[in-house]
Amino acid sequence: MNIDKPLRLASGAVLALAVSGCATFSADGGMGAVDQATQAKAGAATKLLRTDDDRQALAGQLRAMLAQPLSADDAVRIALLNNRGLQATYWELGIAEADLVQAGRLQNPAFGYQHKRGGGETSIERSLTFNLVSLVTAPLASRIEGRMFEGAKLRVTAEALRVAADTRRAHVEAVAAAQALDYARQVAGAADASAELAERMRRAGNWSAYDQAREQAFHAEAMADVARAAKAATAARERLTRLLGLWGEDAGYRLPERLPDLPAAPRELPEVERAALRERLDVQAATKETEHTASSFGLTRATRFINVLELGAVRERDGGEPASKGYEITLEVPLFDWGGARTRRAEAVYMQAVNRLAETAVNARSEAREAYLAYRTSYDLAKHYRDVVIPLKKQVSDETLLRYNGMLVSTFELLADAREQRVAVAAAIDALKDYWLADADLETALGGRLPASAQAHGAHHDIK
Amino acid sequence: MTSSNSRRSFLAGATTLLGAGVVSRAGAATLPEAPVGPSAATAAPLVPPNGRPYNPVVTLNGWSLPWRMKNGVKEFHLVAEPVVREVAPGMLANLWGYNGQSPGPTIEVVEGDRVRIFVTNKLPEHTSIHWHGQILPNGMDGVSGVTQPSIQPGKTFVYEFVARHAGTFMYHPHADEMVQMAMGMMGFWVTHPKDIRQHAVDRDFVFLLGAYDIEPGSYTPKVNTMLDFNLWTFNSRVFPAIDPMVVRQGDRVRIRAGNLTMTNHPIHLHGHTFEVAGTDGGWVRPSARWPEVTTDIGVGQMRAIEFVADNPGDWAFHCHKSHHTMNAMGHDVPTLIGVDHRGVAEKINKLVPGYMVMGEKGGAMGGMQMQLPENTLPMMTGTGQYGEIEMGGMFTLVKVREGLARGDYRDPGHYRHPKGTVAYEWKGELPPAPQAPGMQQLAPAQGKPLELKRGGGHEHH
Ligand SMILES: [Cu+2]
Repeated sequence: MNIDKPLRLASGAVLALAVSGCATFSADGGMGAVDQATQAKAGAATKLLRTDDDRQALAGQLRAMLAQPLSADDAVRIALLNNRGLQATYWELGIAEADLVQAGRLQNPAFGYQHKRGGGETSIERSLTFNLVSLVTAPLASRIEGRMFEGAKLRVTAEALRVAADTRRAHVEAVAAAQALDYARQVAGAADASAELAERMRRAGNWSAYDQAREQAFHAEAMADVARAAKAATAARERLTRLLGLWGEDAGYRLPERLPDLPAAPRELPEVERAALRERLDVQAATKETEHTASSFGLTRATRFINVLELGAVRERDGGEPASKGYEITLEVPLFDWGGARTRRAEAVYMQAVNRLAETAVNARSEAREAYLAYRTSYDLAKHYRDVVIPLKKQVSDETLLRYNGMLVSTFELLADAREQRVAVAAAIDALKDYWLADADLETALGGRLPASAQAHGAHHDIK
Repeated sequence: MTSSNSRRSFLAGATTLLGAGVVSRAGAATLPEAPVGPSAATAAPLVPPNGRPYNPVVTLNGWSLPWRMKNGVKEFHLVAEPVVREVAPGMLANLWGYNGQSPGPTIEVVEGDRVRIFVTNKLPEHTSIHWHGQILPNGMDGVSGVTQPSIQPGKTFVYEFVARHAGTFMYHPHADEMVQMAMGMMGFWVTHPKDIRQHAVDRDFVFLLGAYDIEPGSYTPKVNTMLDFNLWTFNSRVFPAIDPMVVRQGDRVRIRAGNLTMTNHPIHLHGHTFEVAGTDGGWVRPSARWPEVTTDIGVGQMRAIEFVADNPGDWAFHCHKSHHTMNAMGHDVPTLIGVDHRGVAEKINKLVPGYMVMGEKGGAMGGMQMQLPENTLPMMTGTGQYGEIEMGGMFTLVKVREGLARGDYRDPGHYRHPKGTVAYEWKGELPPAPQAPGMQQLAPAQGKPLELKRGGGHEHH
């Protein structure tokens, strides 16, 4: 009977597991951390869709959000839940957690029972076989997989935040493009009226073919502008639709007619660099990486130990020799193998991580500064258009109308003015769009949502 | 904008001076008073308080300059300075003028008078005065650089000569004259005959034709404009702000006009025939006068016309160039007559709120009330007893009335037409309007490009 030793070993393993802490599947599969991060950094929750019930619940949620013009915040909310690429990424957590749990679990002990009868003798052989390898490796593998799982959480969070930022940008682009299209149509309306009047002028014998052709050329160009604007608007909207993961009827969602107004005041952020270092996930990831590498001297030793042991143990089992023997022999080998080369390597890997972290930090600081400067500049530019350029253009229009009233200029000057306004209004829409993009970029550069209090919205200013 | 007059002395009536002149007390010992024109209203004639007697003129929307006698010499004091002229109620112009107004005051003297004129320059640049039409010593002719150094800002020059010939004259600068005349530097000069009975009339009106280009919304004339002016004025006023010429029925009336614009003006009087009685050269012999209802006043010319106002009524008196009886207007506005605006107007209205169709049936605005830019005037304005008077600019009325008092120039109001003397609407049957045979109705001409034959002249197809 060779049942005793394995049992002793098994009890030892249970003891070991109790010491290292056995990994089990978490209730949220790691999504809780991701959800927490997206709520804090993107202002929207996220959830892994596991079941049909989940999907139906989401469909209900979507219906409510899609019933009205889609705000940027709602777009981000939808993308975090409904973007299928993101859902695929969320499942990475499941994989990582499964690996972690798997790593922490002992292989199931196998219980053997042999009942032999022959030669008038009955022998009953019971055996309990147990994977000693996993017993020894479990705590170590758990540590590795634990880090992998942590890394996966960071990666998934980063991906979710990327999709959130992309969605916010795409929303701004789509609204601005639709607004530009709407305006191009208005301008084409002016050109259309102009061309029609010109044709009637020609019919009445008041205008030459030259004058008529000139007005009609304006109209033709305005129509081309509408086509271009329509193409751009479709492209921008479809980019957003893809990020939202919508199709079919849901893809017919409505967008707000215009971009949100410029806030009354720009955000005052005196410590952008510190915020970036504190909040950015890439900085956090690089920091963790460095920390992990720091302990990799010991880790390397252990890894070698485990690997060698594992090989030996497998061989022993295959050969039918007592497992404990192999274990004892191979245990010493890695220590002899633990040489300077490995230490140097670990050192190199560590220093690499340290420098990567330094680089990440330098880049993060610089990106934060750049993003903030771009943000302030685009705020000033949008404000300049809102407060100076557009009111002046409006005044020009008003004065042109007064001149028309005084029969000092003709209808065509009025219409030409309406056409000319286009350049300014398009530039104003563009400036406002750039502001909101810069705002989104700033949040990305600083690692997530900024306090909403700085988002004091200004009075409603019409730029049409 | 307040007139620069308000803080200074002004004339009450035409003969009494109130307040201090513009010159200092020290200078006052040697310089005559320089009175300031009170307003743009027509002042009563200046009856000569001393010197030789004469029949004074009435300056339309202007005044005559008082003088002082010093040792038998008539001394006047002109101050060249920036002024704000009311072109019409609601429109002001930053001009340059004399003694608070543009045009400057009318100078009236008598044939044989020795005249001394002090000219003070309060403009930002040098100036001079040319006495247009006077026969005088060369050194008094006022051409800066040629007959005298120019009068620098702040300086006063003295001109002195004998007004030898009776007639109608002007004064204006001959220094940077393009700018200074475009800015309104001009004035009238009348030399009355020594014999008060000679050339005597009952009413004698004077004015200068002036043209300005003041962009609507601005106040200062564009001095570089050559022909495309938008304000055509009698004494820097436009209708309906030009006072009427009020005369008693049966009066012998003289109207003297000088042209300081850059184009000619065919001046037309309704209801009477007149004779051109005088030019810058003097009086026309009666045998050489010819009857007219319109006389062309060329650039830089003076004309005196005379007629007996025997026909009562409100008679139009105006330049016959139709754009000259308009105020500010766009000369590049295309003709919209005959162009149907239906449908298009709505489209335009969407883009330009407040847009109204104008001009599709002609130029008449049909009493539309619309906002205009600041400091400009409607193209045509003024209301008569039968509705709108669709004119502006060089237009006024000669109002001939029975039994007015001699010196009464007050506006007597609308003419009361005797019964049966006003055109009326035909209420009877209307026969169809005849039309030329073969003429298509409302068919605008359509054409093809002309073919030009080189070498053999051109032929039209
Ligand atoms: Cu004229």
